[in-house]
Amino acid sequence: MRVSSADERATMNSHLQRVGRMRIGVSLVVIFACPFTSLWSEVDFEREIRPILTDNCYACHGPDENTRESGLRLDTENGAASVVIPGKSAESELIARVSTGDPDTLMPPLESKKKLTPQQVDLLTRWVDEGASWAEHWAFRTPLRPAPPEVEARDWVRNEIDAFVLGRLEAEGLLPSDSARKETLLRRVTLDLTGLPPTLEEVDAFLADESPRAYEKTVDRLLASPRYGERMVWEWLEAARYADSNGYQGDSERTMWPWRDWVIDAMNHDIPFDQFTIEQLAGDLLPNPTRNQRIATGFNRNHMINGEGGRIPEENRVEYVFDQTETFSSVWLGLTVGCARCHDHKFDPLTQREYYQLFSFFNNTPVNGGGRSGRQDPVVELKTPEEEDSLNAFDVRREQEAAALAEIEKKLFPKLIDGSAEDDASLKGLPKDIVEELKQPPGKRRLRDVRKLAVFFKERDPDYGGKLDKFGRTIEAYEKLNEAVPRVMVMEELSTPRDTFILTRGAYNKPADKIVSGLPAVLPPMPDNAPANRLGLARWLVDESHPLTSRVIVNRFWQLFFGVGLVKTAEDFGVQGEKPIYPLLLDWLATEFMRSGWNVKRMHRLIVMSATYRQSSKMTDALRERDPENRLLARGPRYRLPSFMIRDQSLALSGLSVSKLGGPPVRPYQPPGIWEEATFGKKSYKQDHGENLYRRSLYIFWRRIVGPTMFFDVSPRQVCTVRMLRTNTPLHALITLNDVTYVEAARVMAERVFTLAEKGTSESRVETAFRLATARRPTDFERSTLVSRFVKLVEAYRANENEALQLLSVGESPRQEALDPVEHAAMAALCSLILNLDEVITKE
Amino acid sequence: MDPRIEYDRHVTRREFFGRSVLGVGTAALSTLLSREAAFASPARIGQTRFGGLPSLPHFAPKAKRVIYLLHNGAPPHLDMFDYKPGMKKLFGTALPESVHRNQRLSTMTASQSKKLVLPSIAEFKRYGQCGAWVSDFLPHTASVVDDLCFVKSMHTTQVNHAPAITFFLTGAEMPGRPSIGAWATYGLGSETEDLPGFVVMTSRDKEASCGQIFYDFYWGSGFLPSKFQGVRFRGSGDPVLYVSNPDGISRSVRRGLLDDLAKLNAAKQREFGDPEIATRIAQYEMAFRMQASVPELTDLESEPQHVLESYGPDVNRQGSFAYNCLMARRLVERGVRYVQLFHAGWDHHRNLSTQFEIQCRDTDQPAAALVKDLKQRGLLEDTLVIWSGEFGRTPFCQGDIKNRSRWGRDHHPYAFTMWMAGGGVRPGLTYGESDDFAYNVAKDPVGVHDFQATLLYLLGIDHEQLTYKFQGRQFRLTDVHGEVVRDLFA
Repeated sequence: MRVSSADERATMNSHLQRVGRMRIGVSLVVIFACPFTSLWSEVDFEREIRPILTDNCYACHGPDENTRESGLRLDTENGAASVVIPGKSAESELIARVSTGDPDTLMPPLESKKKLTPQQVDLLTRWVDEGASWAEHWAFRTPLRPAPPEVEARDWVRNEIDAFVLGRLEAEGLLPSDSARKETLLRRVTLDLTGLPPTLEEVDAFLADESPRAYEKTVDRLLASPRYGERMVWEWLEAARYADSNGYQGDSERTMWPWRDWVIDAMNHDIPFDQFTIEQLAGDLLPNPTRNQRIATGFNRNHMINGEGGRIPEENRVEYVFDQTETFSSVWLGLTVGCARCHDHKFDPLTQREYYQLFSFFNNTPVNGGGRSGRQDPVVELKTPEEEDSLNAFDVRREQEAAALAEIEKKLFPKLIDGSAEDDASLKGLPKDIVEELKQPPGKRRLRDVRKLAVFFKERDPDYGGKLDKFGRTIEAYEKLNEAVPRVMVMEELSTPRDTFILTRGAYNKPADKIVSGLPAVLPPMPDNAPANRLGLARWLVDESHPLTSRVIVNRFWQLFFGVGLVKTAEDFGVQGEKPIYPLLLDWLATEFMRSGWNVKRMHRLIVMSATYRQSSKMTDALRERDPENRLLARGPRYRLPSFMIRDQSLALSGLSVSKLGGPPVRPYQPPGIWEEATFGKKSYKQDHGENLYRRSLYIFWRRIVGPTMFFDVSPRQVCTVRMLRTNTPLHALITLNDVTYVEAARVMAERVFTLAEKGTSESRVETAFRLATARRPTDFERSTLVSRFVKLVEAYRANENEALQLLSVGESPRQEALDPVEHAAMAALCSLILNLDEVITKE
Repeated sequence: MDPRIEYDRHVTRREFFGRSVLGVGTAALSTLLSREAAFASPARIGQTRFGGLPSLPHFAPKAKRVIYLLHNGAPPHLDMFDYKPGMKKLFGTALPESVHRNQRLSTMTASQSKKLVLPSIAEFKRYGQCGAWVSDFLPHTASVVDDLCFVKSMHTTQVNHAPAITFFLTGAEMPGRPSIGAWATYGLGSETEDLPGFVVMTSRDKEASCGQIFYDFYWGSGFLPSKFQGVRFRGSGDPVLYVSNPDGISRSVRRGLLDDLAKLNAAKQREFGDPEIATRIAQYEMAFRMQASVPELTDLESEPQHVLESYGPDVNRQGSFAYNCLMARRLVERGVRYVQLFHAGWDHHRNLSTQFEIQCRDTDQPAAALVKDLKQRGLLEDTLVIWSGEFGRTPFCQGDIKNRSRWGRDHHPYAFTMWMAGGGVRPGLTYGESDDFAYNVAKDPVGVHDFQATLLYLLGIDHEQLTYKFQGRQFRLTDVHGEVVRDLFA
């Protein structure tokens, strides 16, 4: 979702018209429309004018030379100067053309189907009259560290974040909300930092701790938990389009999970973000790279691989490099560069040539576009010592058996082996294909050829046939073992760089000019001594002068905690992206991030320690009318948890969850036949049993062509995603009500309730279940509603004990037979209700 | 999301629960809770609309809903609709270079040195008032030609299945853009709340002769909110995932649980004032209704025997093309906006002389029955039915032309045929022509973006105005192309 202020104004304005209000004038419209603009202020070019120009004019008067009309460009101050006379709107051609009543000269032209609103024309006119100030796009300027503003209510301020927020709220005549209640805050921060709810012990301890540092201690405990990395990795996996299969036809499996584990480990050990960046983009180019540094470069190999029959390998390879270039740009630059594959960018100052200059950095690997495998070279193999030993042992055996076979064949088919004759007497009667196989030395034969020979000679020459058969088994065992070894696809640099050309309209077979790697002119240059390869590129990204990297990354941190970034368009910091709602706060955070040595945990700590974050998320009527999306942050964040977290939470509340870190992906419950149906039975889902059913969501096997069914509003993991939309549909409700995982979690949670409840009363049990899920005690209304439901459920199941037993047998974990099945089933159904409460699936 | 929609949604939501901003009015809530699944009837549809953009439709629609039968794997136009009698005498001769012009083909035949003419393996006759040529393999389709509108001058830019289907359905060959059904429901909403507005069903040949996969990005929502992605009705088990209550939760137990869930959530909304809670209450209620409407939908008891029979012998087999065609009619009857069917098994590289006939037999009758059935119910008028592949197949032989049992045709993007029916297209029309070899378009070319622009037009949408801003750009189904083919309209 995105909103630019101009759009918002249009919205409100149309609303005003709809409700029949008279148009009272621009200033009033501004008050209504935009809580973010002070009364009577000057028109802000960045916020108010550029969006009008980009939306309506750039398609024909923007950076793309090939589509530019009449030689006029409005994306630069010089270009606009020919139609804008500062201070004199009446003499400016721009104003004349957008306000004329003559359809032949009106801009934008009628056929473009674009139309300026009267308010937009007013704004342009005011802007020209106020001097037509022009500014370089904010995101391309190096952030300067702003001083936090002076505020009235200094007591409220806990750190600099609050000063920036409060400064604005005070200017807007708003007050921050009260602090959230302790239980709510604990649950919020625990979910945010670990992806799991607090335990009852943690709730009790926090409530009991009245020291001023109680919250701070909790935050530090959570940041140090290994669950922190498991929580934080999710969005990085989505950005890196991580999956466990290739996508496309065949959808071969891959073993990239050691890369995923590397990321979790890096996050848990708080590797500085600059190092995190360099190792993933160019770990292989560091001096004497470690195995882990090479694994880190798997980031760039997480793209889809197309094994479809009719594809041309080079076409595929070029697609992969496109994907790498565009993923790189979205993740670190917050720029959408894809359009420049085919033509100069329509809005941002990025030419097609510059696109291929970036592309060139990724164009130097030995990757071949031809294969279908998900473990294509270059790879890092990860053998355990045992696997290493067994494979070595098999290698020796394989060589010995091959040598023995060679000896036998020398005697059986002497002239074939020495090559002197192809059809000597010893070959009489052998079919042509068998002869062909025999020409291969035994050590070089493929498994299926060895098998074929073994079958053929089984009866003709039982001794020789038997040896062939044994050899086949050895190869088979070797291959099976070898298949089990994870191979992480990684980056490597060709010693002789591949030539890079501009590709006409992005077609792999239409090279135009040859180019060398380079950076867009609008961004700072690489230092002179930097290597012109991925390592140089990665270091350039994390140079302190870089205007984008730190802004883009801290904005995504913000998004993690507040549900929406300071720049809502987290994927687009270009001129069409949203302007930051708190530009100074964004710049302060960006510079702070770099000053801290790119310390991620420190930034997360700073955010959750702020008073801004700790506010209650209650909405007053006035606030909802004024700022429905809470962009000004006069209250705390409140939004539905991501679906992976809802699942993890349910498992945690039931006590079923398993705290094992890392490892190969797992296959929990999924309705039968999902993979089979999508692949015509070529892939069948073999559900795991035992603890793998209860591992955290991030470890679930992700098949690209048919992703896990229990999630919603997640990235399909096909291309890079840095911002997810939250929707609210009946299908989500069906999952959390009916999926085996959730039903089983509810019935096992019910068992815990019977154990943990202080008293054997329904009240006490209901209260325990409620507290487990929300961290707080129920209100009287909530308690009485749930207790009376529980009583009704007991009645219903008493009348139909069979149904109770059915409910209690959902899922594979054993049930506590000692419990009365009727009461247990009733509590299980009640827990399912509780697990679906808005508050429980919401971060409040 | 466009803020206008956000805003409207917000307003609608509030109106839904009464203007009392503090949350769910008691009256509204009790209405909501007492409402058991009330099924849309044909009489009701077209009168209510749920969701969609306030500015849409841009003009009066000719079609209110769409059923798209996509034949995955690419049916051979030459053996079905595009009659080229002149090729018969050229059997086995080299296709002139002036025809094939060494244009790009799939790598499977790009290097094949000889391109030998393989005329249609079927005989053709003319049918109906309109006199359309149809192959003998399609007797049922032949019987409805006066309701069909053929386009024989389709062409595409893609030569491989997945990119070609993605292009047909999303306007771009790379995955990641919204599918037509997502655009349609985003723009127009749906006419029912009890079923998803955009439904997908898949089937394949019983012989599983080729390995086409139905990728979920074919019906993805791309950058549109994910609620607009197609909901795939499955070919076995529950048609909608998770629609059944778990063992041990009866419908009455579920009802009781949802009553209290709604009560507690409503109390929460009174305290927190978050309009999202009201939406959530409504969505849980819709889920409950869907739990009734989906089984009702798939219960064929009420279908008269002659209707069932008209769809052919496979109609009772869940997951067959025939079953899906019948289900498509039942879905649009209940107000579903857009039904996308896929049927795989058309990729006849080596089995044209064997599999093609089976493939026709499995699909001909159900597709024709669907058109008749809709017509008989008065639904064809404003329901657009589309029949297409993702491209055509080569007029030359893939493989050994001397070995009939191994004849095949490769992928062919330069000319192929599709048909449409109902929803404002001119019945009995044949539009466009291919050349004498059915190789290139000879007259009135229709590109994929043109087809999409036309489809949207029939739905009352100007394809240039239905846009969504993402990554700084206004995206639309037709990218920057597409001309509405007005000659197709009735």
